[in-house]
Amino acid sequence: MLRRMRAALALFVMLFAAVNALSGDSVNTLVIYDQRVTDLENYTKFFKSLKESSYDKSSNQREYRVQFAAVNNGDAELLQLYRNDDKLYDNLIIFPLKTRQISKEISTAKLLEFYKDGGDILAVTSPEGLVEPVRLFLNELGIYPSPKNAVLKNFNEDGPSSKHQISIANSVNKYVYDGTEELNLEYDGSSALLDNGEYIVEILRAPRESVCKNTNSKEEDWSVGSQGHLIAGFQSLTNARTTWVGSSSFFDDEHYSANGAFIEELTKWAFSEKSVIRSVGATHNHASGASYEEIPYKIKDEVVYEIGLSIWDGKKWAPFSADDVQFELRLVDPYYRLTLSPGRVTEDTQYYTTGTFKLPDHHGMFTFLTEYKRSGLSFVTESDTRAIRHLANDEYPRSYEITNSWVYLTAIGSVIISFILFVVFFIASSKNIPVDSVKKQQ
Amino acid sequence: MRQSTLLALESFQTILKALIFVAIFGVAISTRLFSVIRFESIIHEFDPWFNFRATKYLVSHSFYEFLNWFDDRTWYPLGRVTGGTLYPGLMTTSGAIWHILRKIGLPIDIRNICVLLAPAFSGFTAWATYEFTKELKDSSAGLLAAAFMAIAPGYISRSVAGSYDNEAIAITLLMVTFMFWIKAQKTGSVLHSTLAALFYFYMVSAWGGYVFITNLIPLHVFILILMGRYQSKLYTAYTTWYAIGTLASMQIPFVGFLPIRSNDHMAALGVFGLIQIVALGDYIKSQVSSERFRVVMMISLALIISVGISGLFLLTYMGYIAPWTGRFYSLWDTNYAKIHIPIIASVSEHQPPAWPSFFFDNQFLIWLFPAGVFLLFLELKDEHVFVLAYSVLCSYFAGVMIRLMLTLTPIICVTGAIAISKLFDIYMDFSVLLPSKPVNEIKPIETKDDVKESAALSEEDDDYEADLALDYEPSSKARWFDVAAKAIVSSTFLVYLFIFVYHCTYVTSNFYSSPSVVMPSQNPDGSVALIDDFREAYYWLRMNTAEDAKVAAWWDYGYQIGGMADRTTLVDNNTWNNTHIAIVGKAMSSPEEKAYEILKAHDVDYVLVVFGGALGYSGDDLNKFLWMVRISEGIWPEEVKERNFFTDKGEYRVDSQATKTMKDSLMYKLSYHDFPSIYPNGVGQDRTRNQKITVNDVGPLDYFEEVFTSEIWLVRIYKLKSPDALGRDHGEAATFDRTLQSGVKKRVVKKPTLELRV
Repeated sequence: MLRRMRAALALFVMLFAAVNALSGDSVNTLVIYDQRVTDLENYTKFFKSLKESSYDKSSNQREYRVQFAAVNNGDAELLQLYRNDDKLYDNLIIFPLKTRQISKEISTAKLLEFYKDGGDILAVTSPEGLVEPVRLFLNELGIYPSPKNAVLKNFNEDGPSSKHQISIANSVNKYVYDGTEELNLEYDGSSALLDNGEYIVEILRAPRESVCKNTNSKEEDWSVGSQGHLIAGFQSLTNARTTWVGSSSFFDDEHYSANGAFIEELTKWAFSEKSVIRSVGATHNHASGASYEEIPYKIKDEVVYEIGLSIWDGKKWAPFSADDVQFELRLVDPYYRLTLSPGRVTEDTQYYTTGTFKLPDHHGMFTFLTEYKRSGLSFVTESDTRAIRHLANDEYPRSYEITNSWVYLTAIGSVIISFILFVVFFIASSKNIPVDSVKKQQ
Repeated sequence: MRQSTLLALESFQTILKALIFVAIFGVAISTRLFSVIRFESIIHEFDPWFNFRATKYLVSHSFYEFLNWFDDRTWYPLGRVTGGTLYPGLMTTSGAIWHILRKIGLPIDIRNICVLLAPAFSGFTAWATYEFTKELKDSSAGLLAAAFMAIAPGYISRSVAGSYDNEAIAITLLMVTFMFWIKAQKTGSVLHSTLAALFYFYMVSAWGGYVFITNLIPLHVFILILMGRYQSKLYTAYTTWYAIGTLASMQIPFVGFLPIRSNDHMAALGVFGLIQIVALGDYIKSQVSSERFRVVMMISLALIISVGISGLFLLTYMGYIAPWTGRFYSLWDTNYAKIHIPIIASVSEHQPPAWPSFFFDNQFLIWLFPAGVFLLFLELKDEHVFVLAYSVLCSYFAGVMIRLMLTLTPIICVTGAIAISKLFDIYMDFSVLLPSKPVNEIKPIETKDDVKESAALSEEDDDYEADLALDYEPSSKARWFDVAAKAIVSSTFLVYLFIFVYHCTYVTSNFYSSPSVVMPSQNPDGSVALIDDFREAYYWLRMNTAEDAKVAAWWDYGYQIGGMADRTTLVDNNTWNNTHIAIVGKAMSSPEEKAYEILKAHDVDYVLVVFGGALGYSGDDLNKFLWMVRISEGIWPEEVKERNFFTDKGEYRVDSQATKTMKDSLMYKLSYHDFPSIYPNGVGQDRTRNQKITVNDVGPLDYFEEVFTSEIWLVRIYKLKSPDALGRDHGEAATFDRTLQSGVKKRVVKKPTLELRV
């Protein structure tokens, strides 16, 4: 029995290693496209940028192993995200699809599963191509792209033109694009409405004078002005990212000279190459340096809490600096909420510390919690629940240490002394045996 | 000659007495072992599991650590200052026994010590009852009382093997304290009252019921003073007992300053003050002895009492003295708890008993009880007053709370034994058959006659029997009638006694020996089957969940989860925090999404419910559900409403006619999740409530997933789903998944109605 289990375990380890090797260094990416809408020849610059970075020379070469799969073209074999429950790809890029379904294997549920599993998704739609599973998937995230045939227009201009020059001022998330370079993006496509979800990352807003509507029908406008979004992202609790872009021409070679720098930053964000932070761990201990294991906490102890954060700069982990990292000490409700101040720095980590603070005068199971969730950055949560005990019976001050009690101590002492004196005097002063006791003896 | 006969009789009596005691000990212990034989050496019920856990902590840690134990595995996230909120007497007793046995080379598993502690102590209870009764009447009554005490079901119910509860040793200590008190009160001996105080201290350390002693002894003294029976002996006994006992009791952390701050203890303090004044008055009286004294006495007494009572009210009003506790009020008004503190009313042992249970627990002693009290009333010595006060108080209390039957049982045994022994004194006295000798010829044995050897003794015995034969006088008819009457009466009572023993054994073996952790049931062929679902479930938790997993369950199961599964619980049987219990109650009575929110806020990982519908087990959570609703309604009357759980007709239904609130509640869903589908046609038969549950009645469970259901569906454990990675509500996500599966597609894309993004 044991041997069989061991054999199974060995097999499992080998399998695991094989899977790891497969997805090892290079990043497996599946690109799904529709030949009727997308001609891959127009996107050479974009796909080249996935292999090698053309703008940011400082960062290392990107090594995306890109797999193309066209719908409705006998690529059914390739159109799957899982084989035997193993995730085949790290990233998924979906270009506009005109079909009803992506494939038998890739349904809305599969997309959700892939995303929950940590796969990053870049979904590109356009007024011509918005496939149902992708739409439903995006709707679940709270991104509502405009329906087919609805086009973003400038309401000051009449005519069929739907091309927009978009100022970089519309880029709202500095963790996606930091705005160091003034760009004028060229955009032609649809817009999306966003709901109030916490995990949605606004990336590019529609211009103020834009309107998105289907000119052929009398439905109400999908979005008006900066209410609409041209590019939106979503980061799940597992730190997987989904990015939606409402235009496929945004990526093509023709516009690459205008959009290239932005696209590169965008894909870096979308595929978790940037704005990824991690915690190297949070620690807390007595101000004296003794750990919880050595001396469990009791109420009003002085303790120090520290957390180290690093950010991935494309090659290695580097110290992450911020001034809004907060720490909470919770027992259902927070008892403390402290903004952490930067402490020591190592080669790859910036440590943040609370400094010495006093535990509350309340015993219970307290959670030492740091929850750093900023839109655009990956989420960091460190929590540790520890007991804070009450004072032991001999940890209170002694009665004689409390000046108020001296009154009572004096009273007790004087009663005892006067009783002893009374007894002594009573015995000494009574020369005769009391009458009662004589009676009793008889 | 006669003296030597008496000496022989005396030593024979001693041997006989010793033999009887050995037999009583044997019976007391062996009758309590039914549970071990029927089931196994296991800790019973609920509270004992906590005591057991605490004992294990004590033997694995130092006493100092035990005393300052902060328990972070209960009452999450508040924790419990366990060392300061328990009565440590029981644990220290078994801890001490464990250490002593190890010292003498008998290492015994602590569990077995805990299981067998109650039977062992019951023997001592019998002995203490003997000594107590002996002080009231004589040693023959004492022996009877001891025998009754050994087998009375009212006491056995709390002291079978495995019933490792505070009461297991507390009743022993109660009787020992009373015994020493009676002796002290009789003799005025400082030694005896010190012993009474020491055992009182032990009692305080063992059981919250010590308040009963705290009030009964002062009551005794007070009545004696009112009866004008004040003596300096009484003064010595009471003041010694009170001073030492109170100071000692304040050393227990849980009691602390209660003896001078709580109203429950004020009677003892008041009587302590009163007796000083009475003593002073007595002294003055002996010095002055005039008519005026009476007037002065009456006025000062009235003044003192009025000042005392108004002072008490004032101090209570100003908050220096804690007002009466809820449990105390519920002793006077049985409806008080139901209205104001549902948590107390929800405990079955706090309910008033049904009348037959008095007979069930005491059998024929229950009708000898008034007879015994009456007989004592005729005599009315000082110590008899004590028994009278005890009887009257306890009869009332036992009538209010079934749990207090336990304190009534000893006095029933004592008075019943006195009645029977009085009866036997007369009707078992067949000395008319002996040669008539004046009784006053018999004199106490004197030591100088101690020359007889054992050989001589047997000769004497022969003579004695010969005397019997010689002096036999058959002639008198009256004497025959007398003998016949006595024989009939005494044999009747012997039959009663026999039936009593039979009844006690029957009740003990069939009703009081079930551990309630394991339940007996019958197979179709009549053989005994054990339902072991509880342990199965707890063991599952122990083996399959993270060590720091938090389990939410109704408080009844808190101690068992802590003891058997070793997992952190939110609430347990200690019920010290009503609000925290109400939180669990609220979660159980709320719709799923709200419950999920509440439970998540308290870091709960698993929810455990007990469901008896498949088996027909009536003590399940759905039957306790209304208490959960009531308790949480007490805290959040706006959010939880008991009325919404009843149908329009006011019925408590769980089938298709159940209200929406009922069907949406978490408890309902967790209980019936997938239940109907195991039956053919999807119509489940709830055998506890005798109602039919169909598939349509039970809504989908979106926020929880079933992880374990025990063999007969008695215990069901659910895991809270971890938050949705996409930040969606679990309900929405599940609805979305269901629409995907059903394949319904909407062709037309409509603009969503969204709130403004902020």
